Amino acid sequence: MGVRKIDVSACIGCGTCIEYCPMDVLKMDEESQKAFIKYLRDCQDCFLCERVCPNNAIQCIPVYERRIPLPW
Amino acid sequence: MSEDTIIGDIDVLVIGGGLAGAFAAIKAKEAGAANVVQVDKASVGRSGCSAFGAGVMRTFLPQEDDRDKAVYENVMRTNFLCDQERLEHHLEDCFARIKEMDAFGVEFEKTPDGQFERILARGVSRMVMFKGGYKMMEAMRKAAIKKGVKIVDRVMVVDLLTDNGRIAGAVGFSTENGQAFEFIARSIVLAAGGGWMKGRRPGHRNITGDSMAVAYRAGVTLAGLDSAEANTGPAMYDIGPGNNMYMSAGAILVNADGERFAGIYDEDLKERTELSVLNVACSIEARRGKTPLFLDMTHIEPEKVQRMKRVIPLPMMMYERAGVVVGDKFVKRIEWVIEGPHCKGGLMLNSRYETTLPGLFTCGDAMPTVGPQGQSALPGAMTSGARAGMYAAEYAAAVSPPKINPEQGSELRKRMFAPLKRKDGIEPDQVLLSLQETITPYDVLILRHEQRLAKALEEVEGIWHDQVPLLYAYDPHYLRMAHEASNIVLVAMMMLKSALERKESREALREDYPYLDNANWVKLVTVQKEGERMSIGAAPVSLERSKLQPAKEKSLNPLWQVAEKQGIIRIEEGKVRWV
Repeated sequence: MGVRKIDVSACIGCGTCIEYCPMDVLKMDEESQKAFIKYLRDCQDCFLCERVCPNNAIQCIPVYERRIPLPW
Repeated sequence: MSEDTIIGDIDVLVIGGGLAGAFAAIKAKEAGAANVVQVDKASVGRSGCSAFGAGVMRTFLPQEDDRDKAVYENVMRTNFLCDQERLEHHLEDCFARIKEMDAFGVEFEKTPDGQFERILARGVSRMVMFKGGYKMMEAMRKAAIKKGVKIVDRVMVVDLLTDNGRIAGAVGFSTENGQAFEFIARSIVLAAGGGWMKGRRPGHRNITGDSMAVAYRAGVTLAGLDSAEANTGPAMYDIGPGNNMYMSAGAILVNADGERFAGIYDEDLKERTELSVLNVACSIEARRGKTPLFLDMTHIEPEKVQRMKRVIPLPMMMYERAGVVVGDKFVKRIEWVIEGPHCKGGLMLNSRYETTLPGLFTCGDAMPTVGPQGQSALPGAMTSGARAGMYAAEYAAAVSPPKINPEQGSELRKRMFAPLKRKDGIEPDQVLLSLQETITPYDVLILRHEQRLAKALEEVEGIWHDQVPLLYAYDPHYLRMAHEASNIVLVAMMMLKSALERKESREALREDYPYLDNANWVKLVTVQKEGERMSIGAAPVSLERSKLQPAKEKSLNPLWQVAEKQGIIRIEEGKVRWV
């Protein structure tokens, strides 16, 4: 949920997003040294990665991609 | 898989990386503990509720606030369930902790003359504001490291080690490479938060009842797990938190007929009422068929929206992305729901924040978080964390190093890695969805009836017996997800059993027991593992040294009284009948 896109041309491979993500969603690709979205379903849509990225490479959107039941 | 990592000779091990854990670690160091280690399944300071705190904290300032009034408010709003001794600790310590946070570099909103600026938001206590939960926690992480706290990130603690009835350490695994970790510690502060159910709440989906599940398996007595609360938020967007800021700015909640209804249940505070009241108000509207509900902020002035952008930057980015906020205006009203329930129970503790397992201390949302101030959320985390860390350091200084039982360690490792060892099985998502479908409906844990609670319990026990043993993990990340799902199901089971035990209406409303029973129920429901059995009991709230005492009588719960006066219900043969 949430994190949609890491722009590989903008990613500088600093690892800040990976370090911050509370849900362990993002990983570093060893070959290209760029971050990638590995566990999309576990993203908690907190926007923290987008906020802390020093090069504005990440984009999130606030929609549920996994059904969470409603109370009524 | 590489060899186990053993971290030994720890004086105070702090499990959890939120505000409670940060203060516990810092104060343990200040109290003289040489080796303080803080571990988190994500990373310290960027995990749990705190990093996603809604930018506000109820704060008691001795020079401005009336102490007796604060005690009265807290005790009355919890109908005597809050621990009055710990409430006094909170009022005593609150301002000192805020000043320390200020000194650590947390950026508070201040008046031109440098005083903490405070607003009225939810409830009657005034709140200080800081600029973004994650920034606040970044300062706390730095402060802990500066004090000499050793940080261990990306290790999920799964079980506790014991030595002849006292704490000895903990076992966990790295979510990065699956390596087993063993911590050998004289004392532990368990500060891994409360029991959220990965519901509709960005920022709270890694708070999965780990404290309670870990403690339960170690035989620690838990309390207050019947107490469930749901926050409120958008139905269609994955956006949160921020309720305090919205309500403070004058947000209006209306039902499907456009009627503003919060004031029916709380004439004075209206939408600013406590969450427990708002939960009931929304649920009764749903029961009357008055949904969908909407939160309207379109009338809020631009300067207040600008302040929201400073104090709750993450949700405001989300609203902008969703097209709900344009410039400095909310341009449409938002369909609003109560989110899934979260468990407000925790580890039973004494006035030194020690649990029933000697050497195991607790704080923050891992405690029974009863009460609007002092025992819950960020303010409670801050003051209880500091005390727990200090008392744990004192304990560690007085005891000999623990002995590790290798058999216990090996058994716990086997359990911990079981989902990875299995050849095939159920994904954690499947377990999670089954659980959420059972407990999310408003008429299970907010508006309660024995039949519905019992049916939900039967379903959750089914998940526990049929699905949880088959949880499967492809890799260390999924191993974390598997343990989180398992912990959530265990906590839900404890919640439902505890809720069935409380045969009265106090925080939550029972249709079959609508009376607030101060003659028999000024008690916390307790849960403990006895062999393979989950034993449920009740412990009276200690009122011996309390200023305020309840009259030992039974009366219709005030919120049911409102519903009766409105002609929504009537009482027949001691039970609620919907009109």
